Amino acid sequence: MLMGIELWTEKYRPRTLDEIVNQEEIVSRLKEFVKEKNVPHLLFVGPPGTGKTTAALCLAHDLYGEHWRDNTLELNASDERGIDVIRTRIKDYARTIPLGEVPFKLIILDEADNMTSDAQQALRRTMELFSRSTRFILIANYASKIIEPIQSRCAVFRFQPLPKEAAKDRLRYIAQNEGVKVTEEALEAIWVESEGDLRKAINILQAAAALRKEVTEEVVYEVLGKISPKEVREIIKLAIAGKFLEARDRLRSYMYSYGLSVVDVLKMMHKELLSAKLDLNIDEYTRAELLDLIGEINFRLVEGSDDEIQLNALLAKFALIGSKSRRTA
Amino acid sequence: MSARIPWVEKYRPKRIADVAGNDKAKKAFIAWLNSWVRGRPSKKAALLYGPPGTGKTSIAHAAAIEYNLDLVEANASDVRTSQALRTKIFRAASEQSLFGKRGRLILLDEIDGISPREDRGGLEVVKGLINISRHPVVLTANNPWDPRLRSLRELCEMIEFRKLGKRDIIRVLKSICEKEGIECPYEVLDYIARRAKGDLRAAINDLQSIAEGKTRITLHDLEILGYRAEQADMFTIVRYILTARTPLQARGVLSYPSLDYEMLIQWLNENIPYQYSPSLVAIADAYDALSRADVFLGRMKRRQQWSLLTYVLDLITVGVASAREKPPFKFVKYSFPQKLRILAATKYKREAAQRVLKQIAKNTHMSTRKVRLELLPFLKIIDESNPEMMRKILKSLDISKKSFEAILS
Repeated sequence: MLMGIELWTEKYRPRTLDEIVNQEEIVSRLKEFVKEKNVPHLLFVGPPGTGKTTAALCLAHDLYGEHWRDNTLELNASDERGIDVIRTRIKDYARTIPLGEVPFKLIILDEADNMTSDAQQALRRTMELFSRSTRFILIANYASKIIEPIQSRCAVFRFQPLPKEAAKDRLRYIAQNEGVKVTEEALEAIWVESEGDLRKAINILQAAAALRKEVTEEVVYEVLGKISPKEVREIIKLAIAGKFLEARDRLRSYMYSYGLSVVDVLKMMHKELLSAKLDLNIDEYTRAELLDLIGEINFRLVEGSDDEIQLNALLAKFALIGSKSRRTA
Repeated sequence: MSARIPWVEKYRPKRIADVAGNDKAKKAFIAWLNSWVRGRPSKKAALLYGPPGTGKTSIAHAAAIEYNLDLVEANASDVRTSQALRTKIFRAASEQSLFGKRGRLILLDEIDGISPREDRGGLEVVKGLINISRHPVVLTANNPWDPRLRSLRELCEMIEFRKLGKRDIIRVLKSICEKEGIECPYEVLDYIARRAKGDLRAAINDLQSIAEGKTRITLHDLEILGYRAEQADMFTIVRYILTARTPLQARGVLSYPSLDYEMLIQWLNENIPYQYSPSLVAIADAYDALSRADVFLGRMKRRQQWSLLTYVLDLITVGVASAREKPPFKFVKYSFPQKLRILAATKYKREAAQRVLKQIAKNTHMSTRKVRLELLPFLKIIDESNPEMMRKILKSLDISKKSFEAILS
């Protein structure tokens, strides 16, 4: 037998539609599909950690029973290299006949909004080509990043973050099951910091439980302190202080040792610049200038420029602006 | 270890048959030499021609040993300029071998080194030598087809040497390795042979420069050889741009043949701050130009608009050199682009890490990117503070502790 995954996000992921709490409207409509044994193409949109992937997996489970894995293809758009790979995998998969009484197979395409619009156009044709034997569930954070023709072919479901009490109940249930004591203040802190992302909330809880037997507010903040991108903060500070070479070296080893993409680093920088925790001693106008620069570099990167050169250009500008700001201050 | 003898000398073939490749040329050469031995030479001289490193000089050396002849050797252009040398060669050529004494073989290397345009006299000297010689004369040349060499060609048996095949070169390199007691993987020999492009001398020199004094060579040694050649050029080009007196002067590097501008961009990316520190203005300006060059390069490649290349080239030369407030000239040591080095050195590690991430991603219904950004930080905390919990998690994901550590480092 397959052993359960000991990550709490997996261990406590609902297996059936019945187990999903607090998305009543969505769940009841999905149950209708199961009863009819007929599913349209679906588009699940909503912020991270609101149960989109879970709902898709539960639907597959309820539709096909124990053998749902044989009738479901899970793809992640940000891991499959290009639309050609996706198309080939779909073609190979759609060729075989579904097992059981449901006359189609499911294809779950996660992070679909990471596809370029060209790739989405190609996907749309693929969806049409195999619509007899397959149904698609596309999952995305933003509906606006999915092209119109795909949206219009799908039933769109919007997922909302769990309400505070429901989220806290879930965390309490998990803690109880795991024999972990958790204080009310700790739950409150997790709720605030996870910003409606239940996966993040559960991860915080598990990491906190790994640290101490009793999870208090302090333990939660200890976890949060450890996961915050201190490194990026340090790099920005070095650059603003005019220490370009040090900033460049730190950034390099940070990126390569963590295998981060430059766009991820830019996003962290952007977040840090807006964070109250970062004290750079610069005026608001300069801060706005820096944010604008990050946007420009991000644009160049999505256009396909060389990541390191663009980041170095950014750090060099940071250093220059920082030194000017010091002079006038 | 003995003094450094060039391997091209040390392993020069001792018999004509041992000269690599060029079987047709060897046959023709032997036939010509035999006509001398029989006393009725078809032509008094043989002109061996072909690209460098194809065995022209070697075959003359081997013939001297095999036919038991004294080799009298001179560089053709020296014969022209040095009166002493000329006298010596002429005497050697004209003297009859006395009974019981060994015969001679006269070798004049690089006959096309005598410029027929500038110095007809030089050519006359060589022709005179052939006419009076009582011994076989061997001439070598890379290109014998200059019209003014025509009268010389008429005096000679023309024997063509062609570029050597890769297999012939590898065979020679392999036998040298065996004699030197060096263990060398086939890939290395293959690379050297390919790089030599039919020039055996270059191949042997390359082999010696990476292998001498070693008992084992690896692909890694080869990288050093390749990089060294490129670096020498790039150092000069980067210095030329970063220390140009005027921005327009920096454009001079564009006249270098086969300038690898993409590599140059990486080199500038690495070395701008070393040359322009401590001026933050100069560094920022130079990077600004470089990063815009990179944007143009991307557009050029994506849309296949090759006419944009000129702006890329302008930005990496004039643009970079136009930085304001450049510090006064100083000599700094440049370095190889670290990015390329790191990427090459960590390739296998990164691939191994990606495999582990994929496995976690599959089990948690996330993308590898999300695993890295959103799950890994928590796993690290658990790993540091609660080994027992971590052990269970890894076991349930079917990942070994060692594999997991691959994604942390």
